[in-house]
Amino acid sequence: MESMIQWRTRLEETALAPVRRTSKRYWALVAVLLAVVGWGLYAYSIQLRDGLIVTGMRDRISWGLYIATFVFFIGISHAGTLISAILRVSQARWRTPVTRIAEFITVVALICGASFVIIDLGRPDRVLNVFIYGRWQSPIIWDVLAITTYLTGSIVYLFVPMIPDLALFRDRLTGRTSRGRAWLYRTLAIGWNGNAVQRRSLAAAIGILMILIIPIAVSVHTVVSWIFAMTLRVPWDSALFGAFFVAGAIFSGIAILIIVMAILRRSYKLHEYVTEKQFVYLGYLLAAFAAIMIYANISELLIHGYKLEEGADFHLRQLFLNDFAPLFWFYLLGGLVGPIVLMLIPATRNIGGVVAAAVLVTVAMWIERYVIVVTGLRVPLMPYEPADYAPTWVEWSILAGGLALFALLITLFTKVFPIIAVWEVAEDQEATIAPPHPASPAVPEFPAPVGG
Amino acid sequence: MNHTIPRVARLALTLLAAGAMTVILAVPVLASHLVVRTSFPSAATVGESVSLAVDLGTADGAPLAGATVTYYLHMSFAGVEGEGVIGRAVTDDAGVAAIHYLPRAAGLHEVRIEYLAPDAATVEEVLGTFDVAGGEQLVRSSGGVDIPGINPGLLMAVLGGVWLILLSVAFRLVGIARASGRADPPAGAAPR
Amino acid sequence: MDRLNGDPPDGRARDVLPDGALTVEPSTGRRGTAIGRRRVLHMLGLGALAVSPIPVVPELMRIAQSGRAAEPARGTRPPALTQDGRIRQWTMIIDLRSCDGCQGVGGPPRCTAACIQGHLAPEPMEWIQVFEEELPGGGSRFVPTPCMQCQNPPCNNVCPVGATFSTPEGTVLIDQDRCIGCRICMAACPYDRRFFNWGEPPVPPQARLADYSAEHQVPARKGTVMKCDFCPDMARAGTLPYCVQACPNRAIYYGDLEEDIATNGRAVVPASRFLAENNAFRWKDELGTEPRVYYLPGHGEAVGRDAFSPGRAATEWPWTEIVEGAETWSR
Repeated sequence: MESMIQWRTRLEETALAPVRRTSKRYWALVAVLLAVVGWGLYAYSIQLRDGLIVTGMRDRISWGLYIATFVFFIGISHAGTLISAILRVSQARWRTPVTRIAEFITVVALICGASFVIIDLGRPDRVLNVFIYGRWQSPIIWDVLAITTYLTGSIVYLFVPMIPDLALFRDRLTGRTSRGRAWLYRTLAIGWNGNAVQRRSLAAAIGILMILIIPIAVSVHTVVSWIFAMTLRVPWDSALFGAFFVAGAIFSGIAILIIVMAILRRSYKLHEYVTEKQFVYLGYLLAAFAAIMIYANISELLIHGYKLEEGADFHLRQLFLNDFAPLFWFYLLGGLVGPIVLMLIPATRNIGGVVAAAVLVTVAMWIERYVIVVTGLRVPLMPYEPADYAPTWVEWSILAGGLALFALLITLFTKVFPIIAVWEVAEDQEATIAPPHPASPAVPEFPAPVGG
Repeated sequence: MNHTIPRVARLALTLLAAGAMTVILAVPVLASHLVVRTSFPSAATVGESVSLAVDLGTADGAPLAGATVTYYLHMSFAGVEGEGVIGRAVTDDAGVAAIHYLPRAAGLHEVRIEYLAPDAATVEEVLGTFDVAGGEQLVRSSGGVDIPGINPGLLMAVLGGVWLILLSVAFRLVGIARASGRADPPAGAAPR
Repeated sequence: MDRLNGDPPDGRARDVLPDGALTVEPSTGRRGTAIGRRRVLHMLGLGALAVSPIPVVPELMRIAQSGRAAEPARGTRPPALTQDGRIRQWTMIIDLRSCDGCQGVGGPPRCTAACIQGHLAPEPMEWIQVFEEELPGGGSRFVPTPCMQCQNPPCNNVCPVGATFSTPEGTVLIDQDRCIGCRICMAACPYDRRFFNWGEPPVPPQARLADYSAEHQVPARKGTVMKCDFCPDMARAGTLPYCVQACPNRAIYYGDLEEDIATNGRAVVPASRFLAENNAFRWKDELGTEPRVYYLPGHGEAVGRDAFSPGRAATEWPWTEIVEGAETWSR
C-alpha cells in the first residue's frame, strides 16, 4: 500500500500540472473562446451604436434574452454556495475534490450575470446613476446590493480556502514560472506556512464564511426573483417566486458544476480524485432538486390552473398548448423528469448518465428563465393582440459571447489557480485512512513528517 | 282747444304710465304667487361644510311643501364658464329645503336656486351669493407605497452587519499574514 | 495534542522551520518577509475599506441631497395652484357614452392624433391610446386610455434611480435625463402605458434646441422611457391638454380634484357629483394603483354609435415625415 506521502505527492503534482504544462489544445480552446467573445463584443458595439432596436424586444415584451440570461447566470452561481457551503456545513466529505471548481463557477457566473444586466440597459452610459440616485425601494437596487455583497463574499470565499494551496504553488513553482506569477502566488499566499496559529485563523475564517455565504446566496436569488414578483403581471404575481427561484438556482448550479467537472476531469486527468462517486452523488442531488422543482411548478400552476382567472387562462394556454408549448414541455420533461429517470435507472447511474442529465438540466433551466420572462410580459394587459418576441442575431451573439466568456474565465482560472483543494482532499484522505481517535495513539502508516 | 287736447293727452299718458307701472310692479306678485327666502352663510371657508337653505311659502304665507329645489353653482375652469348642480332637495312640511355643501374654491360663489312647486308647470329661480375664504389642502397626492417601519435604516443595518462580518474575515486573513513568522509546520505537510 | 490544528504527533511544539533552520522570534522575523507582510496588511485593509461603503453609497448620497427636498419635483416648475394657494390635483374623466373611436367623424382617433402632433411622439407611441374592448354581452366599446397617473404608481415604486416620479399635483412624470433604460417600470405598469425609445427617436430640427423638461418631453432621448404626462405645463397655464381639446364629441373632461371641478372645453361640471351620478369606474381598480383617470360607462350611444359596429381607423404619425430618415419600430 502506497504511503500517504506518495499519495499526497501525486495529488500535488496533479494540482500543479495545469500550471506547469500548457498543451496546444488549451491554446486552441482559448483562441476559439476569445473569438466568440470578440464576436459578442462586436454585436454589443452594434447595439451601442444603434440602440436596443437591434434586439427583438419592443414595448409589449420589453425584456427578453438578456434578462433571462442574467437570471440564468445568477442561478448558476449558486453552485458554489451549495457545494462549498451547505455541504461543508453538513460535513459531507465527498465534496472536497469539487469544492474549488464550484467556487470558481460562482465568481465567474456572477461576473457574467452582472454584465448581462448592463448589456440590457437602454442607457449604459448612465449606469452610475444607480449609485448616485439609487432608491432603496427599488428591486433593482436590492439586486445591486445583494449581488455586490455576494460577489465580494464569493471572492473571499474562493480565496480563503485557497490560501494553503496557493502557498503550495508558491513553494513548488519557484523558478518554474514567470516572475509575475511568482509574485502573485507569494502575495496571495499571505505568508502561509501552515503553523498552528494560521491554521486556527483559517479554520475560523472558513467557518464564518461558510455560514455567512448561505443567507447571502439565498437573498441574492430571492431578490432577483422579486424583480419580477414586485410587478403586477399575472404570471409573476406569486408569493412562491423567491423560494422557487432559489431552488431553481441551486438546481442549475449543480448541473453546471457536473458539466464543468466532467470537462476538467478529462482535461486535467483528475480521475483519481473526482471519481464516479462525486458524479453519482451530485446526480442524486440533481434528482432531488428536480423533485423540488416539480413540486414548486405543480404548486404554482395548479393553483392558477384550477381557477383560471383572467390572464391565468391565457398564460396557461400559451405555456401548455400554444406558442411556448414545445419549450415548456421540454423543460418539464427533459429538465425535471429526465434527471430523476436517469438517476433511477441503474444503467444510467454513472458519469455518462449524470452528465447527460446535467446537460438537459442546464439547457432546460435557461429555457425556463426565458419562458418566465417572455410569457410573463406577453399576457395582454389591455384589449390588444398579444405581441411576439424573437431574439435577433445581436442577442444570440451576445449570449454566445457571454457563455464563451464564462468558459474562458474558468479555463484561464485553471491555468493560474489550483483547481483541486489539495489540502482539503488530503485531509479527507487522511481522515478516511486513519480516522482520528482520541483514546488510541495514532497509528500512522506513513512516517510522521519530521521537519516538514 | 289747444289747452284741452294736451291736457287730455297728458292725463291719458299719465294714466297709461301709472297703469303700466302698476302692471310692472304687480308682475312679480301676480306671476309668482310664492314667497321665497334664502339663507346663505355669511362666512364660509374652503373645506368646511355650509348649509344653503331656501324657504318657500305661498302668497298667503302658508309653507309650501313638496317643491323640488335644485341648486346650481356658477363655475369656471380653464376658460370655460358654466354652472353645475351642487345639490337637490325637496321642501319639507315647513317649506324649507336645505343642502349641505362643501365649498371647494375660494372667492365669490354665485348660486342659482330653481324651484318647482308641486302643482306648477314652470320653474322659477332665485339668485344668491356667498363668499368663501381660502382653506387647507383637501386632496393630497401620494407618491407610492409606504410600508411603515421598513426604511433605509433597517436595510442598511442588515447590510452593514453582513459587511462587518466580511470585514472580520479580512482581519482573520490579516492575522494569518501576521503569523507567518511563527515556525511550526503542520503535521502532514508535504515534504520539501 | 491537537492533530487537527497542526500540532505534530509527538507532542512537542515544533521549533524547527520547514527548511530545517531554527525558529526565530516572531517579532524579529525575517525582515524581507516582514515588509511583504506589512504591504499585504495594507492591501487587505485598504481593500476591505474600499469595498465596505458600496452598500451605503446610495443612502449617503441621498442624505447629502435631502436638504433640497423642499424644491419642486425635479425638472418641473412650481405646482399649479388654486386661487387660494392650494395645489391642484389633476384628474381626467372620460365619458364613454360620447366616445365612438371617431367612427362618426372618420379617420384615426383625434385625441391620439392631437397628442402625437403636440408632443412630437415618435412612431409607434400612442400616449393616449383608444382600445376597443368587447363588452361581456356582445358588441364593443372604445376606451381612450391615457396614463392613469396612479396615486400608488407601480412604476414609481420600482424605478431604481427615481427617474419616474410624482409631482405634488399627483402627476407621474419621467425625467429622461436620469432614466437608465432598465425598463422595470414598463414591466410594472399594468396598463401598457409606457413606451420605450428603442432606436433614435425622430426629432424635428426646430425641436433639437428645445429646453428639455420632464413636463415637456422634447427632444426625446434614445434608450429612455416616455408616456402621457397630463400636459402639466398647459394645465398650469389654464389650457386644456391636446386630447381634451381635440375630441370632436367632447368626451374627455380634464379637472382638478382639489377644486372638485372638470371641463371638456364646453361644459363645466362639479367633478365628484359628475362621477357619482354617472356611475364612474376606474380601470383595474382592484390592483390598488389608485388611478386619477375615471370612466363613465357607455359605448358611444350619446353620439349615435351602435354597440355592434366594430373597428376604428389606424393611428398615424404624419409629423415624422418632416424628419429625414425617421426611425420607427413596432409596439
